[in-house]
Amino acid sequence: MILILLLLVPLAAGLASYAAGRRRAMEAIHLTGFAVVFVLAFLLSGRVLAGGPVTIYDSFLYADALSALVILLTAAVSLLCSVYAIGFLRVEEQDGAFGNEDGGAAARTKLRLYYTLTPLFVFSMLLIALANNLGAMWAAMEATTLASVFLVAFYGKGTSLEAAWKYAIIGGVGLSMALFGTVLVYYSGRALGGSDTLAGLNWSYLAVQASRLDPKTMRLAFILALLGYGTKAGLAPMHTWKPDAYGEAPVPAAAILSTATLNCALYALMRFYVLTSRSVGHEFPGSLLILLGMLSMGISVPFVLIQRNYRRLLAYHTIDHAGIMATAAGIGGKLGALALMLHMTFHTVAKALLFLCAGNVSQHFRTDLFRRIGGGVIRVMPLTGTVFLMAILAIIGMPPFSLFQSEFLIVQAGISGRHYLASVLFVIFGTGVFAGALLHVGGLVLGPRTSAPAADWRPWQGTPVLLLAVTLVVIGLWLPGPLFELIRAAARVVAGE
Amino acid sequence: MPLIQDPEFGNRIVTLMAAMVLVLQILMAAQRWLVTNIRIFGIQSFLLAMIAGTIAVFNNAPHLFAAAFLTLAVKALLVPVLLERLVAKIEIQQEIAPYVNVPLSVVICGGLTLVGYVVAESFYAYEPNTGAAGLGHNTLAVAVSLFLIGFFVMINRRKALTQVLALLSLENGLFLAAVSLTYGMPLIVELGVFFDVLVAVLVLGILVYHIRETFESMDVSKMRRLRG
Repeated sequence: MILILLLLVPLAAGLASYAAGRRRAMEAIHLTGFAVVFVLAFLLSGRVLAGGPVTIYDSFLYADALSALVILLTAAVSLLCSVYAIGFLRVEEQDGAFGNEDGGAAARTKLRLYYTLTPLFVFSMLLIALANNLGAMWAAMEATTLASVFLVAFYGKGTSLEAAWKYAIIGGVGLSMALFGTVLVYYSGRALGGSDTLAGLNWSYLAVQASRLDPKTMRLAFILALLGYGTKAGLAPMHTWKPDAYGEAPVPAAAILSTATLNCALYALMRFYVLTSRSVGHEFPGSLLILLGMLSMGISVPFVLIQRNYRRLLAYHTIDHAGIMATAAGIGGKLGALALMLHMTFHTVAKALLFLCAGNVSQHFRTDLFRRIGGGVIRVMPLTGTVFLMAILAIIGMPPFSLFQSEFLIVQAGISGRHYLASVLFVIFGTGVFAGALLHVGGLVLGPRTSAPAADWRPWQGTPVLLLAVTLVVIGLWLPGPLFELIRAAARVVAGE
Repeated sequence: MPLIQDPEFGNRIVTLMAAMVLVLQILMAAQRWLVTNIRIFGIQSFLLAMIAGTIAVFNNAPHLFAAAFLTLAVKALLVPVLLERLVAKIEIQQEIAPYVNVPLSVVICGGLTLVGYVVAESFYAYEPNTGAAGLGHNTLAVAVSLFLIGFFVMINRRKALTQVLALLSLENGLFLAAVSLTYGMPLIVELGVFFDVLVAVLVLGILVYHIRETFESMDVSKMRRLRG
């Protein structure tokens, strides 16, 4: 029942917003919908922790600890972003960012677009995490792209269209490879009983039978799935859409894209990873993941160092972190899997916070370029500036923040798993990104005041920022018991126990 | 034995049609007119639907009829009609303007077909009695070639709409692979895939329209403001 509601509520919220069309009504629907989704995700996590995987419909929908964690993170981020979006879009409308020459008609269309598509976008992400059938999971992944293309093209400028086009085409090509991979998994299971029924593509079924899958086909299937879902996760060299999309989408949508969607893509990769490592052993998929992970981390370093636009800086940062998580998965074992799940959780909190702060800055200064702002954000917007600096320190891995712990755990897992080269490169690339991000964001936030102080506290935008900031500080020192249990259970799924 | 029950006969028909699908794909890579391109895609999808139907009859896989019907309705009729309407609406010049010229494109397509055969051969060698081999490994080879040529066409075209067509023909290759390897996917998955294809065409169509309005061109090589 929870599983159905988790899917129905966002779907209904999207459709209801479309039908309502008035701003107040849409805001209310948006907020209520995501609040309900969050409560449901919370309940689901509790049930999975207490009694193991939950399934319905002949296990067409299936939620184990890994799904529950991804769903919980998705629901939390989308709730906070929905609160933020209400304030953000109001200010955008007032400032005339949608164009106001036609008496607000364009603004109404934009608002309706946002409030309709975002719930549908979240719906498709929840379906990824709930679908047991690998084919259905693929269809849901494609649906996330389709639902979010117009969020990227939201402002309708030339650059937004360019970003949306890249996003749609690169995503489409990538996912076609993932579909090929899915077909091959289906084919590799043809020797199993019941393989020609719907259950023949169920992950829970294939995972049990994985040792009987045809290893040769599974190798090819994993390569295709890695390229395909890796494109969605923004792993290099398929990452080129990412800075454009994150730089052009409205901030709350960019925050969802860079956290929840990334998690979902990695989730899909992990499902294939478990099947493949049970079929052909850990070595093959693991080394491919490390390869792409290292490549992503390496590529993001120069782009972070020379970056002129802070939202694109955050995007390259997300590519770096996608690489970090792929590396953790590739190193594998109990420790690697645990580090991956911890990092996923911490990164979601920190990156969402960074994007929301960047949104406040961008909305006040009306530019995304470091050069135009010049510095001194902390004097113009004390709250946003402070939190921005804190979040960037957290995400580049400064202790005592939590990302230091998870990154340290990855290096530890790498060394104990004898991946010496990967561990050394991991530290080197990590240092490069550390320097670049600190340099840029430090320059942006600190320094003398360049413009008059702004009205920094806007309740709709301030509350989610404060909540996330407090969460970020707290989880650096203390992780709530049940959440840690869920993370450990999810890590056990990835480690294939 | 009546022909209709002889799987060998069915295989031959399928192989013949698959060969025609491949020829159409190379034609698509080689010719220069947008509307022709859309029609070739329609005919190719029609042939795919026939292939799925033939396999359903000869190999006793009735659920493939549904896939065949969906291909016919969505890819052979609805998508070409939608795209032709879009072409009429935005009044684009019809020429496609590839990066690589036509003779060289055909040579590259030939090379990619060869690669397709090499890849398919490895599956064929693995198990001579079921799956790919049951249908003749030609079909799988054609599917892989379609996929690769689709990639090539995508890279080779500057116009937004031709990239959409390349993406769709790439998807056709996937469909053929799924049909020839496993007699198609479970029905609900096929439904999801077709729904996605349809929505993708709508989404990309609207995007092409906006790009055309904003840039006064469909040439994606003109969109290069986002760098670094």
